[in-house]
Amino acid sequence: MRNSAVILLTVLLLVPSVEARAQPSFEQRRQRLIEVVAGERDRSFFTVTAKLVTGKDKEFAIQMLDSLTTDQSIGGMFYSYAAIGSYLRLRDQLPDSLKAKMRNSFRERTMYRGDTENHWVMYYTGLYLAAQTWPNEGRSQWYNGKSSDENFREAEEWLNLWFKTSSTIGQGEFDSPTYFITFITPVLTLYEFASDPVMKRRAQMMADLLFADFAVEHLNGNYCGGHSRDYPEDIMNPLSAPAALWAWLYFGEPQFELWQETRYRPRHRGGWETVFGAMSSYRLPEIIYSIATDRSTPYVHTETKRVRNIIRFGLEKNPPVYKYTYMTRHYALGSLQGGILQPIQQHTWDVTFASDKPYNTIFTLHPFYSGKELAMFFPEEQKFLSDEVDRYHKIYTNPNKWNSSSPFEQTFQHKNTILVLYNIDKGITHPHIDGFFPKNLDERSIDPSGWIFCRMGATYVAFYSLRPYEWIEEEINWRWRSFELMNCIVVEVGSSDEEGPFEQFKRNLQARSPALTGGGRNPTIEYTTRSGDHMKFTFNGPRLLNGKPVNFAEYKFFNGPYLHSERKSGVVTMTYKNHVRELDFDKATIKEWQKLQ
Amino acid sequence: MAKTAVRASRIVAISVAVVSSLSLYAQRLEDGRRNYYAAVFLNRGHVSGGASSNIGLFKRMSSDTIWHNIYRPNLFTFGIGFWERGATRRYYIAGGNGLHRSTDEGRTWRVLTTWKTEEILSVALDPVDSSILYVATPFGVFKSTDDGSHWVRKMKGMKRWYVQRLVVDRTDRRKLYAAAEDDLYQTTDGGEHWRQLGVGVPGILSALQHPQQTAVLLVGTEDHGVRVTTDGGRTWSGGQNLPQTSFYALRSSSDGQALYAGGYRTGLWKSENLGRTWSLVSPAPNVEAIYSIFVHPDDPKHLLIGTCGQGVYESFDGGGSWKNIGLQGAHVKQIELYP
Repeated sequence: MRNSAVILLTVLLLVPSVEARAQPSFEQRRQRLIEVVAGERDRSFFTVTAKLVTGKDKEFAIQMLDSLTTDQSIGGMFYSYAAIGSYLRLRDQLPDSLKAKMRNSFRERTMYRGDTENHWVMYYTGLYLAAQTWPNEGRSQWYNGKSSDENFREAEEWLNLWFKTSSTIGQGEFDSPTYFITFITPVLTLYEFASDPVMKRRAQMMADLLFADFAVEHLNGNYCGGHSRDYPEDIMNPLSAPAALWAWLYFGEPQFELWQETRYRPRHRGGWETVFGAMSSYRLPEIIYSIATDRSTPYVHTETKRVRNIIRFGLEKNPPVYKYTYMTRHYALGSLQGGILQPIQQHTWDVTFASDKPYNTIFTLHPFYSGKELAMFFPEEQKFLSDEVDRYHKIYTNPNKWNSSSPFEQTFQHKNTILVLYNIDKGITHPHIDGFFPKNLDERSIDPSGWIFCRMGATYVAFYSLRPYEWIEEEINWRWRSFELMNCIVVEVGSSDEEGPFEQFKRNLQARSPALTGGGRNPTIEYTTRSGDHMKFTFNGPRLLNGKPVNFAEYKFFNGPYLHSERKSGVVTMTYKNHVRELDFDKATIKEWQKLQ
Repeated sequence: MAKTAVRASRIVAISVAVVSSLSLYAQRLEDGRRNYYAAVFLNRGHVSGGASSNIGLFKRMSSDTIWHNIYRPNLFTFGIGFWERGATRRYYIAGGNGLHRSTDEGRTWRVLTTWKTEEILSVALDPVDSSILYVATPFGVFKSTDDGSHWVRKMKGMKRWYVQRLVVDRTDRRKLYAAAEDDLYQTTDGGEHWRQLGVGVPGILSALQHPQQTAVLLVGTEDHGVRVTTDGGRTWSGGQNLPQTSFYALRSSSDGQALYAGGYRTGLWKSENLGRTWSLVSPAPNVEAIYSIFVHPDDPKHLLIGTCGQGVYESFDGGGSWKNIGLQGAHVKQIELYP
C-alpha cells in the first residue's frame, strides 16, 4: 500500500530540458572531449565536426569534409548517419558548394544497408534524417530510386520497429562494449535532429534505455558481464572498449582521461563518435547516473535479450538470451547461459575487477568455430564463411582467440559463484578450453587443495578446475588451458568487504571440492558455495539451486533493484532510492515521480 | 589415290574452318548486341560498410575485354534477372539492399523492396507478366503482383524459411521450384501453396530444369553432390561419379545435350545423359569453387565460369582449356548474356 502511494511529480515529460540536470562535471567533460577531438587529424565526420564547431583548423576541416563527400571509395551505413549528422550540425557555416556535394552523396553513392542490427540502426538513422532534410524530392534524386517521402516512411517504420523490439525482447547485439557506439551515436543524432516530436521522444527514450542497460552493469567505466559481441582487446582490457569513453563522458568514470593512457589509447584513435554525444543536447537523467555509479550495496541483476536473427538450422528466429550479473563495488561477475547466442564475438562470462590496472578480468571459453555456426546467421555458402569472417575479424578460426560462442559451453551462476561446464564433442578442431589470467594480478597461487587463488586489489577469485590443465605464459597474461573434452570450472569471487583478509577467503574454500559425475552427453556438477547454497548443474539439463530448478522462462526483461520490466511489456521502470522513472515505449511517454519514504 | 584423299581431307578441313569462322563471326555479330553481366557478391578485402572494393553488377561488352562496374561498388550482389517483351526490357539485381530494377538499360535503378524483405538471394520473373516478381531470401519467398510496389511473404507449406534459389517452370508460369534449407519445394499456384518434393537430403543450393525434358530436374546440394529426378520430382537419385560435396552451380546448354555442374573444390562436371552420370571436364580450371556457370546459347563449347574469389574463366573448347578473363578476386554468383 505504501509502495503504491506515489506522488506523481512529473507526468509525460515532453520537453527534455525539464528533466535535464547535468551531472556536476558533465559540462566540463563534454567541453574537454570536443576540444580534444577538434585537435585530432584523422579523417572522419566526427573530427571535422568538432573542428568546425570549435573553429579550430577551419580550412583544413573544410578540405577534409570535401574529400569525405567526394571520395567514392567510401560509403555505407557508417558514412550515412555520420555524414548527415555533420551536415545538420554544420550547415549554417558550410559553403553552398560543399553543402551541394553532401546532398549529392545521397544521390550518387549507395548507402549500403548491411546485414547486422547496428548496420541497420546507422543506415535508417541516416536515411531518416536525410529524407527529412531534403523533403519532396523525386525518385531520381536518391541513390535508391525512392522519393524523399518513400525513404522517410521506410526509415521511420523500421526505426519504430527497432525501438519496439529493443524495449520488449531486447537487442540482438546487446550489451556490447565494442558496438555500443554504433547504437548510441545514431540514436543521439536522431534525438538531436528529428523534427517529429514523437520520433525525437522515442530516440530520447531509446538513449535512456541504452544508457540504463549499460548503467546496471557498469563498474568504474567497465561494461561488465556477458556480451553479445566484443573484440579480443576489449575483452582482455575492458577499458579499451569504445563504451568506456561513453562511461567517462556520462557516468564520470573512470576518473582519468582514457585517451591520455597509452594502454587504452589505440581503440579510441579514429573512433571519436563520442563527440556527437558531447555535442548533443541530450542530458543523461540523474537516475541513470546514480544507477551507474552507486555500488554501495551488492545486487543481482538479470535480463533477457535475444539471439541475433537465425536464418538457418533453427526453428526460432530470435530465441531468448538469459543474463545474470552480480555487482559489487569491487567486482562484477556476469554470464550468459552459454551456447551459440551470437556468431564470431560472443563473450559468455567474466569477472571484472574495479581497478586502476588494465587487464582487469578473468574468464574462460572454448574457442569454437564452424561454417555451420556462421551459416545460422549469414546467408553465404557455409564452406567459405569461416574464411570470409577470418579475412576481417582475423582470429575467428584461431585456437588462441579470446572471443567465442560454443555449443559445448554452458553456465550456471548464483550470486558470486559460477559453474561453467564444458562438454566438447570428439573431433572438434580446437578441443581445448582456455582461461585468461592477467599477469598483473597482485597474487596468483595454486593451492594444494586444487584451488587457484587470485587477488587484484580488494577482489579475490578462487578458480577450480575439475580436470587437469596447464599454464602457458604469454605477454600480458597466463593462459590456463585444459585439453579435457569434459570439464567444469568453479569460480567463487569475493572481496575484502565480504570476506575480510584474503587468507580468510582462501581458508573458506580450501575444504570445498566440487564433484563431477555422469558422463557421455550429460555430465553433472554439484557444488556447495561458501555461503551454503547447493548448486547442481547438468549439461543440457536442469540447473538446481538448493534443490529447486532455475526456470529461465521466469526471467523478466529486466529484473534487479534498479531496473525492472516484464518481457514484451514495452514498459521499463528505473528505480533509485525513492526516485522512479518509467519509459513506456508503446505510448512514447516518460514519467518520473518520487515514492513516499 | 593417296593424293586425292589428302586433297579431299584438306577441302574438308578448309570447309570446316570456313564454317567455323563464319559461325564464330555470326556469333560475334549477334554478341555485338549483347553483353556479359556478372553479379559479384564479394571481393578480396571487402568489408561490409567499409571502403568499396569492386563488388556489384559488372558488364563486359562482347567486343571488349574489360569488365565495367555499372552498379555500385559496395552492393553485395547475389543475382541478376532480365525480362524482355517487345521493346520493354527490365534488368534486376538481387542484392543486399533489396531488389533493384532498371528500365533504362542500367542507367538508373530503383530499389523495389523495403526493410521487410532483407537480403535478396535471387529473383524469379514471370515470363509473361512483368508485374509479377518473386524473390528468395533468408526469410522465405516473397511475391509481388504489382511490379514491386507491395510484397507478400509466401511460405505456406514450407517448414524452413531460408530459400536460396527460385526457378520458374518452363511449361507453366504458375509452377515454381524453391531451393530451400531442408528440401526442394514446388508450387503450382504461383506461390500460394508449397509442397516438398522429397529430394532426400537437406541443403538445396541450386536447381535446374532441363530445357527440353521438363520433368528432369537437378538440384545441387550441400555435401551431397547433385541429385536428379526424371519424373517431375516423384523419385530422386544421386548423379553418379560426382564428389559428395557442395554444388552451387548448375547449367544446361540451350539444347539440353550438355548439363554442367560445379561447386566446392569440384572442378567443372558434365553430363550428357540427363544428369545420370557425370564426367570431369578436363582439364578443370584450378579454382577453389565454382559459383556460376554460363553456356553460350549459340555455341555449347563456349563456357564461362564464375568462381569464388578468382574471377571469371572462359573456355572456347568445351572446357579443354581455360583463360581467366578478369574480375580477379571476385566472387561471381551469376553470369548472363543480356542485351
